[in-house]
Amino acid sequence: MAVYRIAADIGGTFTDIACLSPNGMLSTYKTPSTPDDLARAVAEGICAIAARLGMDRGAFSEVLHASTVATNAILEGKGAVTALVTTEGFRDVLELRRIRVPRLYEPLYSKPAPLVPRRRRYEVSERLGPKGEVLKILDIPAMTALASMLALSKVEAVAVCFLHSYINPAHELEAAAILRRALPGRFISVSSDVLPEIREYERTSTTVVNAYIGPVVARYLRSLQERLRQSGIGGRLLMMQSSGGALDVERVIATPARIVESGPAAGVTGAAYLGVIAGYRDIITFDMGGTTAKASLIEDGRVVTTDEYEVGGGISLSSKLAKGGGYALKLPVIDVAEVGAGGGSIVWVDPGGALKVGPRSAGAVPGPACYGAGGEHATVTDANVVLGFLNQTALAGGAVAIHADAARAALSKIGATLNCDVLEAAYGVHRLANATMMRAVKAVSTYRGRDPRDFILFAFGGNGGVHAAALARELQIRRVVVPPGAGVFSAVGLLFANIEVARSVAFPRPLEDAAPGDIESRFRELEARVIAELDGGERAILRWRADLRYAGQGFELSVDVAPGISTDDDMSAIRQAFEREHMRSYGHLLDGQRIDLVTLRVIGSLPHGGADRLAAPPPEVETDAYARPVYFGAEHGLCDTPVIGRGGLRQGARKGPLVIEEYEGTTIVPPDATASLDAHNNIVIDL
Amino acid sequence: MDADLDPILLEVLKNGFDAIADEMALILMRTAHSPIVRDAMDYSTALCDRDGQTLAQGLTTPMHLGSFYDAMRHLIAQYQGRIAPGDVFIGNDPYAASGQHLPDIYIIKPIFHAGALCGWATTLAHHVDVGGLVPGSNSIGATEIHQEGLRLPFLKLFDGGVENETLFTIIATNVRMPDQVLGDLKAQMAACRAGEQGFQALLGRYGADKIARYGDALQDYAETLARAAFSEIPDGVYEFTDHIDGLGENPEVITLKLKLIVAGSEVTADWTGTAPQVRGGINAPLSFCKSNVYAALRSIMPLDAPNCHGFSRPIHVVAPPGTLVNALYPAPCGARGITGYRIVDCVFGALAKAVPDRVAADGTGGSTLPSFGGRNEGQNFVFSECIMGTWGATSAHDGQEGVPHMASNQANVPIETIEADYPIRIEKYGFLADTGGPGRFRGGVGLTREYRVLVDDVYFGVRSDKNLYPPHGLFGGEPGARSRNLINPGNGERSLPSLPVAPVTLRRDDVFRHEMAGGGGYGDALDRDPALVLEDLLDEKITPAHASAAYGVVIQPGADLAIDWAATERLRLELRAARMAATVP
Repeated sequence: MAVYRIAADIGGTFTDIACLSPNGMLSTYKTPSTPDDLARAVAEGICAIAARLGMDRGAFSEVLHASTVATNAILEGKGAVTALVTTEGFRDVLELRRIRVPRLYEPLYSKPAPLVPRRRRYEVSERLGPKGEVLKILDIPAMTALASMLALSKVEAVAVCFLHSYINPAHELEAAAILRRALPGRFISVSSDVLPEIREYERTSTTVVNAYIGPVVARYLRSLQERLRQSGIGGRLLMMQSSGGALDVERVIATPARIVESGPAAGVTGAAYLGVIAGYRDIITFDMGGTTAKASLIEDGRVVTTDEYEVGGGISLSSKLAKGGGYALKLPVIDVAEVGAGGGSIVWVDPGGALKVGPRSAGAVPGPACYGAGGEHATVTDANVVLGFLNQTALAGGAVAIHADAARAALSKIGATLNCDVLEAAYGVHRLANATMMRAVKAVSTYRGRDPRDFILFAFGGNGGVHAAALARELQIRRVVVPPGAGVFSAVGLLFANIEVARSVAFPRPLEDAAPGDIESRFRELEARVIAELDGGERAILRWRADLRYAGQGFELSVDVAPGISTDDDMSAIRQAFEREHMRSYGHLLDGQRIDLVTLRVIGSLPHGGADRLAAPPPEVETDAYARPVYFGAEHGLCDTPVIGRGGLRQGARKGPLVIEEYEGTTIVPPDATASLDAHNNIVIDL
Repeated sequence: MDADLDPILLEVLKNGFDAIADEMALILMRTAHSPIVRDAMDYSTALCDRDGQTLAQGLTTPMHLGSFYDAMRHLIAQYQGRIAPGDVFIGNDPYAASGQHLPDIYIIKPIFHAGALCGWATTLAHHVDVGGLVPGSNSIGATEIHQEGLRLPFLKLFDGGVENETLFTIIATNVRMPDQVLGDLKAQMAACRAGEQGFQALLGRYGADKIARYGDALQDYAETLARAAFSEIPDGVYEFTDHIDGLGENPEVITLKLKLIVAGSEVTADWTGTAPQVRGGINAPLSFCKSNVYAALRSIMPLDAPNCHGFSRPIHVVAPPGTLVNALYPAPCGARGITGYRIVDCVFGALAKAVPDRVAADGTGGSTLPSFGGRNEGQNFVFSECIMGTWGATSAHDGQEGVPHMASNQANVPIETIEADYPIRIEKYGFLADTGGPGRFRGGVGLTREYRVLVDDVYFGVRSDKNLYPPHGLFGGEPGARSRNLINPGNGERSLPSLPVAPVTLRRDDVFRHEMAGGGGYGDALDRDPALVLEDLLDEKITPAHASAAYGVVIQPGADLAIDWAATERLRLELRAARMAATVP
């Protein structure tokens, strides 16, 4: 069957569309986002690309989508009017959080307001113990009265979280049933369903986030569906999840908390897929856009997920230490470290005389000084223009005019403060941006006991190719890969997403006391749920994982478990996998210390039916290359550097220095490096 | 900055040092075993240069800021010439190792490159127990340090890579919870190893000389930033007096007196006049006093200034020996955290007079520390945690609620993990209405936490404060509500003092309830926008009676909360008149 997949990624400024034909031909399209009605740009973009390809809009088999709609609802405080029902005595758990604040030494710090204010947090009498035993039965009359009261209120969504419900959901399910009867059509979010895991604040917060964005996401996706239908666009609508993998829109509407980081996840998923196809299994992704740079790890072809995540927490260099700035969301998210260094990041000199980059950004408006739109501050992009890395007259095939003199003027001011010339100042900014971005790479590699030198750097985002080679050098990474469509890579990544469903269950007990049969049967129960939710039957590929820790530790490590657990050997395999991971992550084992199982997980996926790789485009006529001076630091000085297109590498590998200019982005190949094209149209830079 | 230094490389290396300290902090947290380290995050990590000066400190506990330097000087003086690759040092004693208090154990690893000592990976973690009088080793009732547990001068836990089995055995034998203590020590060692590897990578890349030169430049840079920040404070002498409730059942108040002298770019914290050291475990050794002065003054510096040693150079601490803030042997200091909080509060109290828009009114006075110990299912258990917290109001907003004291950015311990691991049930955790100090901006409301013990013969102790001296307001703002410690509230209730000295034994089903003080208000409560008072009413952070008594805001009778504007105006006039009358002799 000829399967066309089409993908749309909505960003703050642009909506990116990408289409993959059955034979692997990629087409991309960029159009300004339409904030008043986000679905409009999606539909128009898809229609435009269909027209360009001369194909029937109804012929797409799947429409894949990533959007910041959920995150925006939280950042802008525009979620649903939400109520929370808790165990008596504990309605303030949500607001008290884990107490810790993300900013040290800041007496004027102001905490983010809770998503559900105290006036809409209700307590009911019920209590479970830590083994799930009932200490106090649920007060049904009180619960019923509460539900009736809520039915008369403006509440659009209700979250329910009782203590110890991760081990015994009975009271929550009773309460939810009462609420559903009294409030038909309103969104009910139950903690034992959303996140059956220990730790009441994280579970409550996750359940509340789910409720808060539920009606907003549902409204948005329904309107998108309707818009696509009206525009005659066919195909099943799938949404990217934060953990990688796409999910049917109906399932997303049921648990919208799964999609908050869909955009970044799409890029990383695409990198994993295309990386493996190109022969790389261990990859560090590097995604540099206008305001931030992000890094993540792909190990043995698989993305790495974490549940140490907060939505709306802003950018933080060490987000895993400095928690409390956002709203805890403990569902698996692709582990992405983010730093406030992008093309638009503003350059400044602090009172101690030190040069700084970001985290303030010039944004899309006014943008860097070189856009000539009124931006006065020097930015990373201005430095890249001064250095000659970026085109001196226009970017994006002429769509964005560049005023190189404005960039030079802005950087001269910085140079004057630092007592150096404009080129040195610009090169300093470039190095400093790299130093900042190195911390993102380290947060996903060395912090977890991984050596970046064992990985390739897979660069995308509007500015990824500009900085990738220099960043890789700093990290002693030997190879950089820049994929086609790097500037719209979240959309490209969506095209290769499989449908994926993950489910977990709390399973707290010492590993040595766990009967193999018990583990096996819990995994099988999870499998059955996952298969049902995938609607895919036997085509599903299932992966078992277990979270374990040494008794007494507060953090778990997640390891793969081979399906089918019946013997002591199977159990020791689990132990050994844990010990390997502990040694690798932390450099030591605790001999004789008990190992505890904490959570079992099953992840199921259905391979997509589209093309499995990108085809190289037909040979294009290479326009005559020209050269411009580019500054690669004092060591090399100003180098006369050929400027070519991606196709300019088709004849064979070329030595740096080179500038490779494309519609969506620029790739810099420094002196002493070699660039080539592989069979999948990736630029490969060997350092 | 020196002209021949590359400012960009300086920033690059600063990033590198910070990344190492943060990586150490993350590894320590993820591999730790006790709730106080892994959940409450009462620990610190730092990367130090070859002289023991901090280059970067992980973002964990502010009151440990500057806690490494004195200890490092002590260690280096003691072992000069006998420091080798593969060594790991351990120490905790305030007097024999310039430490903090006995539960805070340092694990320190020298970092070598090309055969030369180039730096140190250092960690400090609060251990759940180090023996002594009471479970948790923070007895208020100790009268000398020998009662507080295992004293460790700096010793080699590993000597050239060889484990000191004797020392491990002594430690394991002298603490109540050896698994947790040894587990946390291993977590500290894992963090040191990561710090060592990270720093060696930088040394390999740039060379030891360059790293040393830029390390020195980083210290100078931090000093420059500190001096710039202090220069902005108007010169003057700013005084502040604060109190600790006192020890035991018939407490005598303990007074802290601070003179903060700002002169140009230098600041002196002079504690002359502060109470003598006491016969109880709340004495602060000098290094701890300095740490807290540094942390408080760091709060008015730029947020991204480096947390390295250099910023403390323009800060001078004068603390007469033998006082509460510079205790001498054999003064006990297990529960000295309370004094550290008060040191910080004093500095903020003085700063409020100099830079009123930069600080908040007084908050809960630091975390309350309940400790429970006993036997459960044939095993020892010790559980202690930090209850936090609320802040005073500022010139721009109400006091923050559910936050740690500025000096200790700790976390609470999840109720579900407490109940899964200990014979304790939490019965209530939440806000207490009407406890925030009234003001134009209201102090944060206090909160309560209730524990029911599920076994007999549980030793119980608590370190708290702010019952006799509730958190003060600023510029007409009123104090927050007092704290309270109650046993079996509403059921044969009795109260405990803030710092009980006599041991308390709890029986099965006994309940301990702590009520934290509320934060102080900022500005006149009668100037508070009635709409904000209504918001507080809707959120049940205040009651209608409190709204009229404290804020002069009258609510219309009826089910829906609405302001009676006319009555409010009348009542506010009456309250102002009554105030005036009260001042007429």
